[in-house]
Amino acid sequence: MTETTEFTDAVTHTPGATIDDQIDARFKRVRRRRVPKFGVLFGATFLIVLLFLTVFADWLPFIRNADTKVRVNGKLMSNYKLGPGWDAWWGTDGNGFDVFARCIYYARYTLWIGISSTAIGLFVGGALGMLAGYFRGKTDRVISVLIDCLLAIPALVLAIMVVRRLDDIKLDFTFLGWMSRLWQIILTLSILAIAPLARIVRAQTMALREREFVLAGRSLGAGNMRILFKEILPNLIPAMVTVAATGLGILIAAEGALAFLGLGLETSWGFMINANRNRLEKAWWATIFPCIMLFLTVLSFNLIGDRLARRFDVREAAV
Amino acid sequence: MAGTGKAHLRNSPDVLLRVEDLTVEFPVGRTGLKVNAVSGISLDVLRGETLGLVGESGCGKSTTGRAIMQLRRPEGGSVVFEGNELTNMSLADMREARTRMQMIFQDPISSLNPRRKVRDIVMEPLTIWKRGSNAERATKVDSLLSEVGIDPDRAAESQPHQFSGGQCQRISIARSLVLDPTLIICDEPVSALDVSVQAQVLNLLEDLKAKHGLTLIFIAHDLAVVKNISDRIAVMYLGKICEVAPSDGLYQQPAHHYTKVLLDSIPVPDPEVAIHKVAIEGEPPSPVLPPAGCRFNPRCPAADDRCRSEEPQLREIGVGHFVACHHPLVGGDAPVSVRSATSA
Repeated sequence: MTETTEFTDAVTHTPGATIDDQIDARFKRVRRRRVPKFGVLFGATFLIVLLFLTVFADWLPFIRNADTKVRVNGKLMSNYKLGPGWDAWWGTDGNGFDVFARCIYYARYTLWIGISSTAIGLFVGGALGMLAGYFRGKTDRVISVLIDCLLAIPALVLAIMVVRRLDDIKLDFTFLGWMSRLWQIILTLSILAIAPLARIVRAQTMALREREFVLAGRSLGAGNMRILFKEILPNLIPAMVTVAATGLGILIAAEGALAFLGLGLETSWGFMINANRNRLEKAWWATIFPCIMLFLTVLSFNLIGDRLARRFDVREAAV
Repeated sequence: MAGTGKAHLRNSPDVLLRVEDLTVEFPVGRTGLKVNAVSGISLDVLRGETLGLVGESGCGKSTTGRAIMQLRRPEGGSVVFEGNELTNMSLADMREARTRMQMIFQDPISSLNPRRKVRDIVMEPLTIWKRGSNAERATKVDSLLSEVGIDPDRAAESQPHQFSGGQCQRISIARSLVLDPTLIICDEPVSALDVSVQAQVLNLLEDLKAKHGLTLIFIAHDLAVVKNISDRIAVMYLGKICEVAPSDGLYQQPAHHYTKVLLDSIPVPDPEVAIHKVAIEGEPPSPVLPPAGCRFNPRCPAADDRCRSEEPQLREIGVGHFVACHHPLVGGDAPVSVRSATSA
C-alpha cells in the first residue's frame, strides 16, 4: 500500500471549523426561536411526574387510596361536600371519594391502555407496512386494501361492537373469559391504531428500499428478511417512535371518549367526567380536574410527538 | 454509434466476464412504451483487467452494472461470469454467485446504513455467509479496514455519518472486499467526492486491485477519471456502445465523434490554451423513442442519410480499437454492407 491510504481525508480535520461553528450557532438560534423548547420540556416533565405518582401511588403518603372515602373529623365527605383544599386537594365527589387520588390511580389504566394498544398497533401495522412497502406488487395491493378497509371502520361502531357484543359472545365461548373490559378497549383501540401506523411505515419503507445500502445488502447476498430487519427496520424506528408518541395522545383521548359514553372502564377519567358532569355548577372540581388531567396528558404526548417529528423530519402526510 | 456487434469480444481463456446482447428495458407506466435503457450491449473483461465504462448521465452505464450483477434481471442477452451463465440462474444460486462479484456505489453515504456501526457494516457479508469464527471475522475486518486507511477501533464505535465522504467510500471498498471477490463493479465511485479525495480513492483502488488480484469495471461519466485507471475503455451513448479501445488509443486517437466530444469536454487547466472544440447541440434523445439508425445521428456533425437509416456495427480500425460509426474520425468509412444496400 502506498502512502495515500495512510492519509485520512482532509475534511474531518479542517481548521476552519470556527466559521462553521458560528453558522451552526446562528442556525440553532433561529431554530430555537421558531420551535419553543418549552413545549417538549413541559410535556416530558408532566408525563414523568404523572408516571412517578401513578406507579408509586400506593406508597406515597399524600395520595389516598382511590376507594377510600374521605372523612373529616369522622364525618363522611360525600355529596361533593369538600371542595379543593387541604383535606382533599381536588375535592371529593358524590360518594365522598378523593378526586385527586382517583385521577392518579386511574392514570394507570389510561396509560396502560394507551401504551399497549399503541404497541399492538405498532407491531401489526408496522409488519403490514413493511411487507407492503418492501415487496410492493400484489402484497402491497392486498395490504393497502386492508388498510383502507380499516380506515373506513367508524370508531364508535367498532367500539360498541367489541364491547357490547363481546360481552354476549363471552357467555357462549368460555375460552374468551380472559377478555375483560380492559382488553376489549385495548383490542378496539389497537384495531384503530393499525391503519395509520401501517401507512406511515409503508411510505417510509418504500423510500428506504430505494436507498443504496439496501442494494448493497442485496449484492452482498442478504435475503429479504435480513434486509427488512437489519437494514430497513433500524431506519424506521425514528418514524415509528414519532408516530407512536402522537398516536398515544390520540388513543388516550379516544379511551376517555369511550369511557365518557359508558363503553369503557369505570376506572377512567372519562367515566369520572361523565359521572359528575350533572353537578358541574355546584361541584366543578369533580369534572374539571379529570378533564385537565386528560387534556394535559394528551397535550404532552402531542408536544413530544411534534418535537420528534421535527427532529427526525417525519412527514405524516407522506403517501 | 449505437453500435451493436461483437467484433470486439475476445476469445481468450482469461475472459472473466462476457456480456452479450444485454438488454434492459423499463416499462413507462401502463402506456405500453418502454425506456430502452440498455439495448444490446456486448462486453468482455479479462482477468486482472480494468474496463472503463463511460458516457453521459442516463446512457445506461449504471443500469449495465446492475444488470451484470443481476440486481435487476435484464430483459435479454447473456452474462457469463467465471464460466457460469447468470441470467437463468435460480435466485439461490445467484445469491451465491454474487459473492464473487461486488459493487461499489456512487453515493458513499447512502450506501452505508446510517443506523449501524461501521465495523458491523463491513462485517455484514461474513455474518450473512457465516464464514469463520467471530475472532476470524474480526481479524479479517480489522485488517481490511486498516488496509483502506480507516482506524478499526474508531470504526467499531462510529456510525457512517461520523466519517467524511471519502472515508465512507473507503469503508464501502472494504466491505466489497470482505468476501474476496474476483470482480468489482465500481459505479461512479468518486464522482461524489472532492477532486483531491478522488485521487486518493483511485490510488487506493489501484493498490487493492494489484494486491487482491481484482478485475474492475469502472463506471464514470468523466473520461479524465477513467483515463489512468483503465486498460480498456468502452464509450456508451443512449444504451449502446460507440467505441471500445485501449485507454491510450482512445485518448490519442478517438475515432467516434461522440468520444471526441467527450474528450474535448475535459477541462484543460491552462487558460492560455486555445480552445477548438467540436460542440454538439441539444440533449440526448429520449431513450423511450430512440432515433433510427445510429443513435447519435441527431447530434453528430458527420451524420448523413446512411446514419439515419442503418445502424453501424462495431468494427476494428486499429489494434484492439473498435468503433461503431459509418464515418469515423480515423480508419475510413465503413464498407457498405449488403443490409444497408437493400434498406437504402
